[in-house]
Amino acid sequence: MLHVENLTAAIGDKQILKGLDLDVGAGEVHAIMGPNGSGKSTFAHTLAGRDGYDIGGIVTLDGADLLDMSPEARAAAGIFMGFQYPVEIPGVNNMYFLRTALNSVRRARGETEIGARDFLAVAKEAMQLVEMKQDFLDRAVNAGFSGGEKKRNEILQMAVMQPRLAVLDETDSGLDIDALRIIAGGVNALRGPERSMIVITHYQRLLDYIKPDFVHVLVDGRIVESGDHTLALHLEDHGYADFVNTDLNDAPERPLAGASS
Amino acid sequence: MSPTAAASGELEVLDGIGFPTKRDEAWRYAPHRRLGQLTFGPNADGLVGESVELGQRIPDVGGPRIVVVNGVVSPELSTFDAEGGLHLSTLADAADSGAATVRGHRDGATIVDAYAALNVAYATDGAVIRIDDGAQIEAPIHVVDVAVPGSLTNTSTSAVVIRLGAGSSATIVETRIGIGTSFGGSNVHTSIVLGDDAALEHILIQDLPAQQVHLSRVEITQGERCTMRTRSFNLGGSYGRLAYTVELTGADAIADLSGLFFGAGEQILDQQITVVHSAKDCTSRQSFRGLLDDASSGVFNGGIDVCPGADGTDAEQSNDNLLLSNRAEVNTQPRLEILADEVACKHGATVGQLDDTALYYLRSRGINAEDARRLLINGFADQIVDDVSVDAVRTWITRRLGHDHD
Repeated sequence: MLHVENLTAAIGDKQILKGLDLDVGAGEVHAIMGPNGSGKSTFAHTLAGRDGYDIGGIVTLDGADLLDMSPEARAAAGIFMGFQYPVEIPGVNNMYFLRTALNSVRRARGETEIGARDFLAVAKEAMQLVEMKQDFLDRAVNAGFSGGEKKRNEILQMAVMQPRLAVLDETDSGLDIDALRIIAGGVNALRGPERSMIVITHYQRLLDYIKPDFVHVLVDGRIVESGDHTLALHLEDHGYADFVNTDLNDAPERPLAGASS
Repeated sequence: MSPTAAASGELEVLDGIGFPTKRDEAWRYAPHRRLGQLTFGPNADGLVGESVELGQRIPDVGGPRIVVVNGVVSPELSTFDAEGGLHLSTLADAADSGAATVRGHRDGATIVDAYAALNVAYATDGAVIRIDDGAQIEAPIHVVDVAVPGSLTNTSTSAVVIRLGAGSSATIVETRIGIGTSFGGSNVHTSIVLGDDAALEHILIQDLPAQQVHLSRVEITQGERCTMRTRSFNLGGSYGRLAYTVELTGADAIADLSGLFFGAGEQILDQQITVVHSAKDCTSRQSFRGLLDDASSGVFNGGIDVCPGADGTDAEQSNDNLLLSNRAEVNTQPRLEILADEVACKHGATVGQLDDTALYYLRSRGINAEDARRLLINGFADQIVDDVSVDAVRTWITRRLGHDHD
């Protein structure tokens, strides 16, 4: 479904992604782990369409060239990015924002727009998923939200948008254990045979709750190792030291049950 | 350079005052050449009110309405039906009957500048709103001022007198518009006195045509423990000037002023605010937002004067601005003069552009660039619009700003 080939991204002279390859099939959940500064968030933003990068390589979603599309066209094509730092938008009502977003992609797809009443039903269902109360919808988008509320709001948006591919950028950062459980519960409920996910995280902890089909290690702008969920456990025990500042061909042997490339 | 008075015989009102210039701080950013082309004089009578089409140009707030066309109240367009405790009349009638409140207004008017003097000289009609002690007036009262630049003078003059008795409450909406495409405008002054424990929300909408100029002064005097909320929307005209002076003369009173100015083209939208704390333990808030597109410019000149003895004053002021074009500008200036002890005063101003990260965030949710921009602009404006208690006004402003947010 998602095909990434030799993806490069730079800001000015600073090369961040240095030839990233990744294939994500329908219904698969891929975790991308890596140390700070390895390019994880940049990868997420290149998928969502943020301005300001010099980008090379190939990224296609269901065969369509993603790199050519505006952020809104990517959303209409089915990409959803959960932000590490969701943006506060004072004055814009959360419910209004959600409905505008959903109707924007529906319009772009040639579907009929959804009315206020029908939308409320959609929103209510999504809210249950992330254990939110009604007043959440009446507040301004992320304005004055706690860290946990902001992340829940991201998952709420994902539940409303029903994307083909969700890219969750450090959705676990800054969460206490209860919030983590709620968010992981929401994400798991949204897993399905037609929906793929890329879960970007610094810590293995999230993957106790969201069990990935594949784990990739991103170091210095490249995926240097891929495996199943046991790779994450290995990283938890040993850190990223094995992969950092070493010639990868000389990387020590590790027991990686069921690892696939 | 000086405006010409049609009736030059009455120009003695201007003796010793002179017209403001760029050297006057309060008039620094005003378009003096254009102001010099305004002409003032007695308002021509006999203008037919029914020929004026108000329609969607003003909000339909329900309740009684007084419509002033070119400085003269139009009986055809006005409805004076008032509930108990509310007394509505025209300024002309009130002046004829010698009502003390009106005499007090005219005698006590502060002549701060030439336009104030011209208003006192030529505002022979307008609206008088009196509310009895303890009366709670539910329906909003609407005063509409329509400028129709004529051949004798191009600038109309009127006044609004508002007196709230002790413990009374009301909501008053003033809408200032103009008709036609010829140059001119209006010079309207409002005098508000609140008795002890009274509460008033006063909403002022300035939406004159692009060729016209609006000059407004609102002078407010508050008694003890009363609450004044002003909400201003400075939207129309080539130059729109909204000046407020609030005197907190009784202890424990609250003055809460907020406003939005939204300019495009080459508009200049000017807010001149002064809150004078002359009694103890009063609270004042000034919260003004500017949205400036194209080559428009905004002015916020906000003063807090804390007089000797006004201990326990709590005053805050903020002015936040969004520049939507690289040709737009805003001039924001706080003026604080604090001569009392135990005073809490805060002020802050921001000038920014639309947040690129927020635009990206919205676009990543499928909202196209233009809609995302509009959503952010409206969100910024709505933080002032949402402060208005009258639904019809919120709806009207929302539509006027070009969106149909529900």
